[in-house]
Amino acid sequence: MPVKAPSDQVTYLEAISRALRDAMREDPSVFLLGQDVAAYGGAFKVTAGMLEDFGPERVMNTPISESGAIGVAVGAALLGRRPVVEMQFADFISCGFNQIVNVAAKMFWRTGRPVPLVIRCPAGGGAGAGAFHSQCVEAWFLHTPGLKVVAPAFPRDAYWLLRAAIRDPDPVLYFEHKQLYRRVKAPASAVFDAGGGSDGRDGHGAGGGGAAGPPPRIGQAATLREGEHVTVISYGWTAHHALEAAEKVAAEGISVEVLDLRTLAPLDEEAVLRAARKTGRVLIAHEACLSGGFGGELAARIAEKAFEHLDAPVRRLAYPDIPVPYHRALEAACLPSAEKIAQVVRELRGW
Amino acid sequence: MLEKQAVPRPVEAEGHSAHPSPQALREMHLFLRLAREWDLRFERLVRLGAVSKWYSAVGNEAITVAAATAIAAGDALVSLHRDSGAILRYYVDASRLFPDQFPPLPGRRAPPTEPRELLYRLACQMLGKADGFSGGRERSYHYSFFHEEAGIIHVGMISHLGAMIPVAAGVALALKQAGGGRVALNFIGEGGTSTGDFHEGLNMAAVYKAPLVLIIQNNGYAFSTPSSEQYASRTLAERGPAYGVPGVRVDGTDALAVLRCASEAVARARAGKGPTLIEAVVGRMRGHSEGDDSFLVLSEDERRRSLEADPVLRFERTLLESGAVTHPYLDQVAKRCAELVLATVDRALASRDPDPSSLPGRVHAG
Ligand SMILES: Cc1ncc(C[n+]2csc(CCOP(=O)(O)OP(=O)(O)O)c2C)c(N)n1
Repeated sequence: MPVKAPSDQVTYLEAISRALRDAMREDPSVFLLGQDVAAYGGAFKVTAGMLEDFGPERVMNTPISESGAIGVAVGAALLGRRPVVEMQFADFISCGFNQIVNVAAKMFWRTGRPVPLVIRCPAGGGAGAGAFHSQCVEAWFLHTPGLKVVAPAFPRDAYWLLRAAIRDPDPVLYFEHKQLYRRVKAPASAVFDAGGGSDGRDGHGAGGGGAAGPPPRIGQAATLREGEHVTVISYGWTAHHALEAAEKVAAEGISVEVLDLRTLAPLDEEAVLRAARKTGRVLIAHEACLSGGFGGELAARIAEKAFEHLDAPVRRLAYPDIPVPYHRALEAACLPSAEKIAQVVRELRGW
Repeated sequence: MLEKQAVPRPVEAEGHSAHPSPQALREMHLFLRLAREWDLRFERLVRLGAVSKWYSAVGNEAITVAAATAIAAGDALVSLHRDSGAILRYYVDASRLFPDQFPPLPGRRAPPTEPRELLYRLACQMLGKADGFSGGRERSYHYSFFHEEAGIIHVGMISHLGAMIPVAAGVALALKQAGGGRVALNFIGEGGTSTGDFHEGLNMAAVYKAPLVLIIQNNGYAFSTPSSEQYASRTLAERGPAYGVPGVRVDGTDALAVLRCASEAVARARAGKGPTLIEAVVGRMRGHSEGDDSFLVLSEDERRRSLEADPVLRFERTLLESGAVTHPYLDQVAKRCAELVLATVDRALASRDPDPSSLPGRVHAG
């Protein structure tokens, strides 16, 4: 069973579960595929109880066949069903790579036939799980036109972006950082509230618990914190480090703007450029490794389109270009952290 | 436990035990001829430089046409690069194409589509023209065509061999979940059976009892690689029982034998009994692609034998022997098919090219 947060608090994991349940209730074409997702409820228990509630035709275990499962999902999606495939760990998505980048991603452009498919990917390190249960592999897919890639950091975003992903006519990769599952919580009222207003900003505020605007849509970044001196652009678990870093350096008189991308593809380029122009000093932080990481793409766009606003070179903080090491001390040395982010922010402020 | 360890022999199908009506035989013949003329025309266009590449399906017609004869409008087709026979059979209602010669076949659900228009679009697709199914974005059989009111659910290939088998299994799963006993038909070459997706797709279809008919067209060679360097088992059909599905081996130059196997597999799938693996063995009448020298990989003797085993001629001989047709009839059908293909392809050749200003187009549906 999912770990219940006290009182009306909803964990990130519960928000994901709830999104699946609500989508399944609302739309009979939605069904789940994945290893151990049925009676067992999934490796992380995201689908716990769903077999009982929705039956074996809609909650289906798959053999250990990532390519097979994603291919089957593509076939079903072509016939108008809305499969949600769970990767047991994001790392294993490599075994389904061809189905994603060549079959699913190119289908609409080639044939005009939509592939409404979601692949949920429990991603990221910090658990001492080694090189094959810890990776942040989103960049593999950002180089492929036709996919959408989301990476929510807060329960409200997790809920609404999964709902949006399931409704979306395109293949969506949904990266859920495992460190957020049970650690990050928000009041149920704030998470599920469909909100009002129409300014396009969801205003969930730092920690994702704030007043609700309209639910986030795919392709919308969120300003987590307003600041004047330095901009930190991030997503996923690292967005939480960025907020913590902003808090740290605030005490030193440095005011930091924190932008949470939430969606990596399609990119909210306007929000990125706005945030970059605002302070002229930009750090991009992500847990994925440096070379070929999304930070490089963001830095290039900022250099191309906001160069005249820059007062310092765009900096990147990312994983070193090595596989994830096993020992916790080794891993900690590699992961982004609030302190590492704060240090680069100080350096940028000094320019 | 002994049972599980014993490797069951694949069923060796016997030919000629299906008993289609003379009219059904003539219809199947029409599509064998049409498919042959289709490929001959495009082979020629490669030599004339009007098409960049062509994987000839000459020699595969008895498999593809017969298999698609076993399905009906409403079933799904997932095709690869040598499946023109299946596509033509699946798209075209003979009684609309040549109503004077082919009355509607009792008991067969044919798509209610205008065949000449579909053939024109298909020819445009082969030529990369604007009126092709992909509007020039994709080559030859790399397109999909959905016309649900006509019962056409056709998912075309990507280049990567094997990749379409899990997709076909997913299509079959969706058909099963929709109810109504519809099935999916999918082809693969013997080379493509060495991919991981062959294993994953067939295994998943078996586990889910998805109504999938998977036909291996074993022409003995993948590009230049002989099947002895492709797999070490005696047959490919014997893989079927290892997945818990029937494995049937059939002479792929014998359209009636293929029809019988495919019909049995389709009936099984419709009855909820899951997938069937069929290995249809043919000779290779052409090289890998027109213009390469891979036909010469075969010994002279082998080349001669496979050309002699021409499945279209074989079927025509069978029809003649049975008295179902006469020589003038065969000549007339061949002429009609050749003229139809010529006119259709000529019209496509003269049609609009795609407009580069249509790029980049939409990579996303939403
Ligand atoms: C995954 C993959 N690897 C390589 C190729 C290149 N290729 C195209 S056709 C072909 C041979 C296919 O042989 P087979 O599956 O037996 O079918 P045939 O062409 O003989 O009908 C190869 C190697 C490919 N299309 N896909």
